[in-house]
Formats: sequence, C-alpha cells, structure tokens
Amino acid sequence: MSACPFHQVLDETLRLSDPSPDAAGARRDFPLMPVGQACDMGRASDGTPLIDPRLFDSAEFQRNPYPYYRIMRDHHPVFHDTLHNCYWVTRYADVEAGYLDDEGFNTIPKGMSNGVLGNTQLELSGIEHRRRRNLYGRHLVGQALDRRIPIIERLAAEMIASWFDGTAPDGSIVVDERDPSRRSVELGKAFANEFPIRVVCQVLGFPDEARSQFFYWYSSMMNGLGGSETAHLGIGARQDLEDYVADLVAQRRVQPTFLYDDAGDPIGKDIISELCTTVVDGDLLSAEEITSNIALVVGGGGETTRGAILNMWYLLLQHRDQFDRVRADPTLWDAAFHETLRCASSIGGQPRHTTWDVTIHGVTIPAGSLVNMVDFSANHDDRVFADPERFDVFRPDLHTGKIIRSGVDRDGRRSHMAFGVGPHLCPGAWISQQESVLGSRVLAAALDARRVRVGIDVDRMPADIDGTSLAPIGLGAIRSLWLTLEDASR
Amino acid sequence: MSGFRTYEVYQRTRPGETTEWIKPRQLTSDAYLVDPYPLVAILREHTPCYRDWPGNAFWVTRYDDVTSVFVDDANFETRSRAQRCGRDGWGRDLGEELEVLRCLERAADQQGEAIARRVLSEMEGDLATEVFARLPFELLCTAMAVEPTTDLARTYLHLRRATSWEPAARRDGLDALDRLAAWAAPLLEQRRSGDGDDLLSIVARVGGSGADLAITVLEMDHDTLHGVLANLWCRLLTEPELMDEVRGDPLLVKAAVLETLRHRPPIVSADRFTRHEVERFGRLLPEGALVRLSAAAANHDPRVFTDPDVFDLHRRDLCQREPRGQYRADGLPSGISFGTGAPSRHPAVPEDRPRSRYAIVRDLASTTTRAILEDAPQLRPADGATPTLRSLRIGEPHTCWSLPVVRG
Ligand code: HEM
Repeated sequence: MSACPFHQVLDETLRLSDPSPDAAGARRDFPLMPVGQACDMGRASDGTPLIDPRLFDSAEFQRNPYPYYRIMRDHHPVFHDTLHNCYWVTRYADVEAGYLDDEGFNTIPKGMSNGVLGNTQLELSGIEHRRRRNLYGRHLVGQALDRRIPIIERLAAEMIASWFDGTAPDGSIVVDERDPSRRSVELGKAFANEFPIRVVCQVLGFPDEARSQFFYWYSSMMNGLGGSETAHLGIGARQDLEDYVADLVAQRRVQPTFLYDDAGDPIGKDIISELCTTVVDGDLLSAEEITSNIALVVGGGGETTRGAILNMWYLLLQHRDQFDRVRADPTLWDAAFHETLRCASSIGGQPRHTTWDVTIHGVTIPAGSLVNMVDFSANHDDRVFADPERFDVFRPDLHTGKIIRSGVDRDGRRSHMAFGVGPHLCPGAWISQQESVLGSRVLAAALDARRVRVGIDVDRMPADIDGTSLAPIGLGAIRSLWLTLEDASR
Repeated sequence: MSGFRTYEVYQRTRPGETTEWIKPRQLTSDAYLVDPYPLVAILREHTPCYRDWPGNAFWVTRYDDVTSVFVDDANFETRSRAQRCGRDGWGRDLGEELEVLRCLERAADQQGEAIARRVLSEMEGDLATEVFARLPFELLCTAMAVEPTTDLARTYLHLRRATSWEPAARRDGLDALDRLAAWAAPLLEQRRSGDGDDLLSIVARVGGSGADLAITVLEMDHDTLHGVLANLWCRLLTEPELMDEVRGDPLLVKAAVLETLRHRPPIVSADRFTRHEVERFGRLLPEGALVRLSAAAANHDPRVFTDPDVFDLHRRDLCQREPRGQYRADGLPSGISFGTGAPSRHPAVPEDRPRSRYAIVRDLASTTTRAILEDAPQLRPADGATPTLRSLRIGEPHTCWSLPVVRG
C-alpha cells in the first residue's frame, strides 16, 4: 500500500481532483460535432462505443442525433438508460414489432402527454382503445375528407394570397426597402403554424370566434407536454380550454352543428357534436373527455403537420434539383412528404410500457418499464433504408402511397415509422398528407402564377457551427423558415 | 395477463398540483449534488409524491411515507445492484449467509478500532480520503484475511461504481467485478479445505465462486461507514463549540453519530419498484414504477422532528437505540439511513445471530470517532480549508471528499 497510498488510488478512480466537467455532475457539455459525426464517449474494454445518457439532454444531440442513433442501433439496440429510468429501442424491426404488439408493449400510462392533454385514446390499449379509436376517425379520411378538400384548398389559397395583398400576419413578411419586388416570408408565421390548426378546428367544429384564444391554449399546452419546465402553464391552459368546452358541449348536446361541403350540403356532424352524443360503455362522454379528445386531435395534428410542411420546404430548397422536379410534376409532392417524414419527422417516437418481462437482444426489460420506441432512429436504420441520412424523394426503398395500420412492405418498399404502425397508427396520417401536399401545391402554384422565384433566406436562418452552412434539422422540426421571394423575370 | 389493463386510470394533473417552485431538472442539477435539502423540502411540503417525468420516477419525501414503502416488501421490490448493472445471475450474493454476517461483525468489532488507529496514524493530511474512505476497504481486507494492495484498492473502488449510469464508470466497475472474481478464484481454491474463519474461507466452504465473492462485495454497504464519519467530522471540524462539547463528554459520540445519520445521511435516496399497481399517497402508482425514497427529505420532515434542520446532539425526538421491525423505537422515529438495511425484524437480537448492520456501523463509527478524539486531540482544519459535502454524481453518496487537517 505504501508505494501508492489509498487516497491516490481514490483520486485516480473517482477523479476527485479532475476539474473537467464530464468527470462529475449530471450535466455534461458535449462538443458540437460536424453533422453526421459522433463525439467520443469512450469505449468498453471490448471496443464497443459507449453511450452517455446525459447525451439525451444535450444541445449536440438535439441538432446532430443521427450518428448517435447509429451507434445505439449497431451496438446497443436496447439501451438501458438508468439516468432516465427507461430503455431506448432503436432498430426499425424492433420498433415495428413493439408497436404491433400492443399487449406486450402497452400504452399505459403514456403520461408524458396526459399530464396536460388528459386521458385519451393514446393511453388506452386493447378493447378500450378500439372502442374509442373510431369515434371520429372517419372525418380524417375517405369520403368525408374528400368532400372537404376544396374547402381546405381555398383556405390555403386565401392564406397565401394574403402574402401579396398586405394582409399577412404581423411579422411574417419583410419587404426589401431597396427592392420592393424582393421580400422575405417566414413560412411558419405566414402559413404553416396556423393552417393545420385551422383545418383541424374546422373538422372539430370549434367556433371561429374563439380561434385566437384557442391558439394561446394550444401553444401553452404543447409547451407543457412531458413534464417540461412550463408544465404548469400547459395544465392551466388545459383547464381554461375545458371550462370553455363545457359550455359548448352543453349547447351541442341539444343542438348539434354540421360540416358542409363546397356545395353547402351537410356531410355530417362535426367532431365535437359527434362526441357530444357518443355513448361509450352506456354513458355519454363527459366534457372532460371531450376536451381531452379535442386536445389530442389538435395536439396531434397541429405541431406535427406544421413541422412536416416546414421541414419539407427546408429540405427541398436545399436539394434544388429535387425541388425543380417536384414542381415540374406536382404528383411528386406525396413522395416528398413521405421522404421528409422519413428523413426528418416532427415526432421522435412513442413511449410504451412492458406488460411482462421481455428480453430483446439479450437485455431483459422488467414488466412495467418505460420503453422509448425511437421512430427517428427506425427511419434512419440502414437495415431498411439505404444511405439513410440522404434526403432523396426518389429513393426506391420507401413506400410513398397510403399508410396502413399493418405497415407496408411491398416491392422492396417499406413505410416509414413517422406515423407509427399498428393499433395506434396515426389516424391523421391521411389528412396531414393532404394538408401538406395541397398546401404546398397551392403555394407552388401561387408562386408560379406570380412568376416568383423562391429560396431560403440564409441571412435570417440559423447557421450551423461552421458559421456558414444551414443548421441541420436535428430532432423535431425547424422553428421557422425564412424564404426569399424574388421576381423571376429579372 | 398480469398487469395488462386496457383502460386509463392515471389522472391528468390538475392546476395547482404541480409545483411552480421546482423544475424537474433541478433534481439532477449541480445544486442538488451539493445541497439537496432545500430542493427536496419543496417536494415534501408541496407535492409529497412528485411525478418526475424526465427522471421517470415518483419521489416520496415524507418520513412516514418513506418508511411505509421501505418496510413494505409485498408491494415494493428492491432491485439488486447485480440486476442494475446487468450481472443478474452472474454470481450469488452470499451477504445474508449467517457465517458471512458473523465474519463481517467479527472484523468490525474485534479489529475495527485497531484498523482505525493504524490508518489514522498513517494519515498525512486528509481525514476524508486517507482515513474515512479507506476504512471500509481495510475492514474488508481484514475480513478476507488478505493484504490491502494497491491493485486490490483500485479494483475495490472501481467496483463500487458498477451500477453507475455513467458509462465509463460502469465499464470500469464491470471490469473490476471480473478482476475481483479472477483474483479471488485461486484464493478460494486454496482455502476451501481449510478451517479459516475469514470471508474467503467461508465463501469457499459454501461452494462460492470468484463471481459469487465479487457479487457479495458489490452488494455490501460500503458508503455508510465512510459517509457518516466524513459528514460528522466535517461538522465537528467546522463547528468548534460542537467539537468541544463532544470532546468534553465522549458519551455524546453515539448521539452525534445518530444525529449525523439523520441530519446528513450519506445515502440521500434509495430506489424501489412497485411489484404491481398500488394506490398510495393519493396516486395510483403503475406496476414497475420507480419510487425514489428521499432520506434527505424524510429526515428533515417537520411532521416528525422539531427544528429538523438543526443539528442537535440532545434531540429528544430521535430514538437512541436500534429500531426493531419498524422505523421507531420507544415511540420515537429513528431517522432513515439507507444502506444499513431495513430494521431488524427480531424483537431482540437472537443469540445465534450477529447484530444488525445498523448497529455494527453505528458502533464502529462511534469507536473510530472516540479513537480520533484520543489519538489526535488537537486536530483542527488546515488553514483555509472549507470542507463541504457533495455527491460526485447523481445517485452517489452525499459526503465530504476532502477534509484537510493538521494535528495540532
Ligand atoms: C405529419 C403529421 C403527423 C405526424 C408525424 C403524426 C404522428 C403520429 C404518431 C407517431 C402517432 C402514434 C402514437 C402512438 O403510436 O402511440 C399519432 C397518433 C395520433 N395522431 Fe398523429 N401525426 C400527424 C398528424 C396528425 C393529424 C393531422 C391528426 C388529426 C387531425 C392526428 C391525430 C392523431 C391522433 C388522434 C392520434 C392517436 C391515435 C391513437 O392513439 O389511436 N395526427 N400521430
């Protein structure tokens, strides 16, 4: 012991006198790496790269997640994160199998969202889920939706026309002082933030006069999800929404309101009116349950579709050749939409809970554990999608048609995981595709008609760490997208 | 289909239920590592079963609630360290074998004091790292009847982090487990046929392998002895009046040890998992939920202790003898010190059983403290030293990692 006293060994093993921030503490500043490259988190004795769970809270992971997901897929396909008390499942095949097995991987308690949204079908499984799943699903697909397409198109056209007639929302457009034919438009503020919510509010039958209030409630709720720092604001907003909805429900129980097609013919009751008279288990839904459903539909359909539209334009404008081909053939917008969701969806994945002990890839997950199914990673799994980091509207391995619950694996094409798969497959998949595709077509046509050339306003967009290239999308959606519109004839 | 329910019962949070006073990330902040007390007090007073989403845990913070979980094996399960580091089934924990318990008791009771005096005499200047952190290691080596080598010390210290969430520490810990098993295997072979009463001989005789020994060492409590001494002496050295009082009346030493375990428990929280859905604390806890029991919060619960934040040698509301079967004795709460195990279920120590770990640690900490008071009567903090407590990482003991002293 005398050669190397105990306290020196202590110092060496516990790194007591090491001032570097990664030696201690729950926060760690990870270096910002070039996109696509992972920083070194050490290796196990057998050479396996390690994953430090503090990574998941870091800025680096937010902007550059994919090289880390690759390490997880290749080396830790079931990563037990004891800091956050959960398991991360990252391979496409495992995520898919988990989603399809809603008995073994139940959705109870999803909780991350129900703290604010309330109890919804997201947290139900099995028979209870099936009973509620179809309460209003038909409004989001098929005939009921088809008949409303012209209305959705008109809404998009009106919103985009406002860019050119001076009625666009405050702060969404900046006209170049020296050259008034040049303007910068923030696609979010000017279109994508509101458009999906207005579409969804229409099908819900949410009164127009409460729309601005609704936006406030909605954004507070979104910011309060997952026990975030602003959870209490979200919870307060949810209560305000419920108080408002309670009166509405009382009215609609006696006097339902309807959705109409372009010709003014009724299509059916709007979703709120439908829910007001829906009987489940022999009982009417309460105002609280109806509010939760409203919150779910808007929560599920607003932010997500906004993100899809912004990410799609951001990616296309960075791949000009693909953008030109899509504009030349507007049927390609569907493929662009799906490739966007594969490449950079706005939802990272879904939580599940194990119903019993299960062993995957040698890791035993005890019953009742939180398992994070990582859609982002599944979508970048090169076991399924070749060269997954590449954005390619024309990739031959991605299914770009209608999304179905059982998943699609046909002719070498797989559906992406951005809408999930199985019993909880996003019921809004089709309507969000319609919104994004129709909205983009209307926008592209409006620009063509006015002979406007569009590009990314790089001066107003955040740059990456090199100071010049555009910031990567990372996890989630870009916050805003500034476009430049210029007279194409010049 | 146990545990599979199709309906949602987990209530949404209502306005006013969440705290606006605390943000979940604060519970993993550097501030928490240094001083968890103000943060957990917020939970205890406002949201006694706090849903920590980012940490995916339920924090239980009131004294009676914490003890009610801690003694409730029917509803709450303790996951072993082996399980937590992915070595479930790799080796057996022989720590509950009677012979093993006796052996550890013998080492502490018969040799503990001598070890403490020797280690103290070798100290050059830091009481925390040279004496207190070293004691449990020396004690283990004595129990095993082996030389305390540098290599063994390194293995031992790494091993204690095998359950860490931090990947490098965990890797080193797992490697240390393997090294300890490989180191022990030939020794066990040698001692299998002998009649030694050291830990290795005992493990060998019950058919234990190197891996069994490594897991047994992993599951032992090493932190409480180190932590309670460091936390007590940190206070004694920074509060001269307290030091004088204890010096003047060595009978107060035991009270000081117990009050330290209550006031600054080295293990500030312990985790349990629900075995099935349970309704508790006004919440439905789902099956498999992590319940984080905060000793830091519970031991400062004003419902149980008057002026709980005051370190008081003469407390009349803290029981001064070993609690039995519950966290109270003589109607008084004992304070919670995880790591020393749940209170003994036996109404009195049975003849054929060793004393509880609680009693062993308490007594050795007292003996050691008295030995220091005797052997180094002029001990005082080194000039400019401002010793403080901190956890090095989330989930690690809250104790003093540097206590520079001069002998007088
Ligand atoms: C690009 C846009 C969208 C994305 C990426 C998306 C993604 C998802 C995902 C991944 C799920 C599955 C949840 C799970 O497996 O637990 C889901 C569920 C859901 N989505 Fe969407 N969604 C989008 C748009 C919409 C829209 C527009 C609506 C409504 C109009 C909507 C309503 C819902 C609802 C109600 C659920 C719950 C389904 C259930 O649990 O049975 N979503 N969404």
